[in-house]
Amino acid sequence: MARLVVDSSALILLAKCNLLEIVCDLFDVIVPKAVSIEVASENLVKNYPDAALISELMSKGAIKIQNPGRDRVPSPLSLHKGEKEALLLAINLDRSLFATDDGKAIKAARFFNIPFIVTPKIVVELFRLQKISLKRARESLEKLSIIGRYSPEIITDALITLLEKEDGKANNHKDT
Amino acid sequence: MAKPTTIRIPEDLLNEINELVQELKLDRSAYLREVLRKGFSLDKQDRLLRKYVRKEISQMEVCKELNWDPWEFLTQLKERNLNLNVELEDMLDAADLPSI
Repeated sequence: MARLVVDSSALILLAKCNLLEIVCDLFDVIVPKAVSIEVASENLVKNYPDAALISELMSKGAIKIQNPGRDRVPSPLSLHKGEKEALLLAINLDRSLFATDDGKAIKAARFFNIPFIVTPKIVVELFRLQKISLKRARESLEKLSIIGRYSPEIITDALITLLEKEDGKANNHKDT
Repeated sequence: MAKPTTIRIPEDLLNEINELVQELKLDRSAYLREVLRKGFSLDKQDRLLRKYVRKEISQMEVCKELNWDPWEFLTQLKERNLNLNVELEDMLDAADLPSI
């Protein structure tokens, strides 16, 4: 099963756009301990349904908590503990993909040459892989725009990509 | 412990403050301390969010400095009509999900 190392920003947005459970079903979702504290502490679970869902998935083992190891990564960029540990986990775990929705964490991922993915791209990819319908993908992108504060430019690009992939599918069906 | 400091403020503003504290029977120093604290807090939020937008600090670094949780962070972005600091280039450079 392919691995996704997820930081707090992506974990919350995946929950907000109702895709966290399907992502956990399809991929090995791993977070460091610091991220689990940032998004699923007792107080947060009481106040936010997303935090309660994340906590439940952690309890079930659908989201695995893993120690990033003791290595220290010499990074030119400072990051908060959870982002730093998630990055370190992605470096240490072979063939893993780093999921984040933070511009600075992406800068750090580029520096270390770690493959990364952002939540709107996960939506588009789940549709491409035929794991979610076009309707569900559009609904998720709408949530990422309104609640997730993604820029209109990115959401528009994601919607266009969705429609292009839908057209591609339709044309393939015509050809066969 | 509170320490004294001196600032010069415009006369019209000082008059307005004096009128208000008299009308509401407030202690002027206590009132000014509270206003200064609120103003400083808002300015700190604005400064940190500007740094976030420029990708100089991360979302969780902002949360730590302002004692916000990540949900409060998203709410504050919405209230200020700000977006996440992820750019279109990041979306275009993002990897594909592996085939399942």
